[in-house]
Amino acid sequence: MELAEISPNPYHPSLMRIKGFTDETADVRTLRLEFADEAEAGAFAGWQPGQFGQFTVFGAGESVFAIANKPWHSNGDGPPTVECTFRAIGKVTTALRAMSEGQTIGFRGPYGNHFPLDDWKGKGLVFIGGGIGMAALRSAMLAAIERKKEFGDIVILNGARSVADMVYKEEMPAWQETDGVSVVRTVDPGGETSEWDGKIGLLPNVFEELGLDPENRIVIACGPPVMLHYLFLSLGKTGYQPDQVVTTLENKMKCGIGHCGRCYVGPFSVCRDGPVVTWAELNELPKDY
Amino acid sequence: MNRTAWKIDEEKLRQWVQGLVDGGDSVVAPVEEDGLTLFRPIAAAEHAHLEPSGKTRWSPKEFLFPRSEALYRYTLKGDSVEIRDPDVPETRQVLFGVRCCDAAGLVRLDEIFLSGTKDPLYAARREATTVVTSACAAADAECFCTAVGGSPVATEGSDVQLVPLADGWMVRALTDKGEDLVGEAPATWSEASADDIGRIEAIETTVTDQIARSPIQKEWSRVLEDGFENASWDHLAQHCLGCSICAYVCPSCSCFDMNHEANAWCGEQCRSWDACTFGLFTHHASGHNPRETRQQRYRQRVLHKFSFTEGEDQHFRCVGCGRCVALCPAGLDISEIVTAAVTAIQEEGADGAR
Repeated sequence: MELAEISPNPYHPSLMRIKGFTDETADVRTLRLEFADEAEAGAFAGWQPGQFGQFTVFGAGESVFAIANKPWHSNGDGPPTVECTFRAIGKVTTALRAMSEGQTIGFRGPYGNHFPLDDWKGKGLVFIGGGIGMAALRSAMLAAIERKKEFGDIVILNGARSVADMVYKEEMPAWQETDGVSVVRTVDPGGETSEWDGKIGLLPNVFEELGLDPENRIVIACGPPVMLHYLFLSLGKTGYQPDQVVTTLENKMKCGIGHCGRCYVGPFSVCRDGPVVTWAELNELPKDY
Repeated sequence: MNRTAWKIDEEKLRQWVQGLVDGGDSVVAPVEEDGLTLFRPIAAAEHAHLEPSGKTRWSPKEFLFPRSEALYRYTLKGDSVEIRDPDVPETRQVLFGVRCCDAAGLVRLDEIFLSGTKDPLYAARREATTVVTSACAAADAECFCTAVGGSPVATEGSDVQLVPLADGWMVRALTDKGEDLVGEAPATWSEASADDIGRIEAIETTVTDQIARSPIQKEWSRVLEDGFENASWDHLAQHCLGCSICAYVCPSCSCFDMNHEANAWCGEQCRSWDACTFGLFTHHASGHNPRETRQQRYRQRVLHKFSFTEGEDQHFRCVGCGRCVALCPAGLDISEIVTAAVTAIQEEGADGAR
């Protein structure tokens, strides 16, 4: 008897077609995907910002990426499009980078918890993304921009090692078109070019220079562990409390449903209980991430 | 539990098992193979190795959670892909002669695979499986079930339990599945006497006395968690080779890997056993690894067994079968290491001597 006759298989991916892509850097690409099957598109319930998916390259395997576009609603948005931004760095991502428009990949999800945007109403938001860490923030950031009148000022701090490594270069100007949204770009010292008109400096230092009053503000930060380490020091120094700071844990994941045991941080299963955590929650967990 | 207990001799026991085989059940029992005792599907009851003590080299977990299995298979057709789900069993599977520690291990697997999003493959096999445990009349040198809250006559995870008597076996059905399994067989069985039933307690006393290890205390769970940074982890697990035999023979270890096995036309999403003691287990594509050293990985193993417990009832995730103790090439004994770690943490403080 085939499993499907008695129970849905959570590992069975939906087929999706590559509808288009944007090359963000030499090795980072954003894919736009549509369901190959109309019925599956119709049954898709969408996602909340911060959730992630498992993306399959048949023959190579699965990789976890954040769902990077703003939440899709089934009420008249048309068929759902799922976007993800990934760096070609391993077996699956290299194979995915080699695929072209019209080709088929697999998708399952969404998984995990999400950024609690509704809890942030009336507050100023600071999105801080280091390198490809921006990908995990993009869905929440685009949702917040769309719902700008519910929030205070929105500051987006996009940092990269070098100008060539900065993601979402093309679309950043559009983010600032909404009143009260400002974008600050920075590259690590030495990563600038002669034409660079953004800031030069490490993200935690640039954040401190901005002098953003912690009063009634939420900081949402995502980036490599070393960046977060120094950013948390800066946040502490500038008076931010651990419950005002939100990040995502980016442990190695495989199953996405809390079973395979790979993403544990102490008793916390990142795929099931995360990936979104506050700095306060992080302080309660063993340093195992 | 007001279910009946019977007393039967070995011949009647084998007749019952033969009846299950003849009736189409897939009966998995300990058999002698290449000098080892291993769980294997049996074609005849006479092949089952019935002993009042001694355990199989591997636990029977692979009959619910196979070492390797396809989560789906696919065929590539031009730009399209055809996906086929795996098959699930249609016949009853009987795990026969399971030690009580191993049955408890299956319940620990349930806590992982049947919580939250259920694993449908595991769930289907579990549903189709009836567990017949065999109480232990003697402990092996490595056994420590009683130190982790278990017992040689524990009923957790048992549908039917066999208890060795001087002149045969006591059989007791413990669940509805167990009642179904004994079925009509008791028509020729006699009811167990009070003396026979008293044997359960006698066995428990004897075996508990044989197990020399001191109990691992429930409250150590918190001590271990608080002592995550304690320096003792560095030397306690210094000899770990990272071979992960401990995880492979463990009745409750449930970590797995998922990889595509494929050629240019078709393939499968393959799930296989994995272990937190392997260096690549948590290795990110970026190169970052939260657990870079063997000591960090061994600590994770110990803490996941004794500290970071799943579910409401907060069982240890170690059932004390002792296979990892008997088979570790570096001679590590997890029960001794837990005790040593707790002692160090209590003496030196949570982050002592670093």
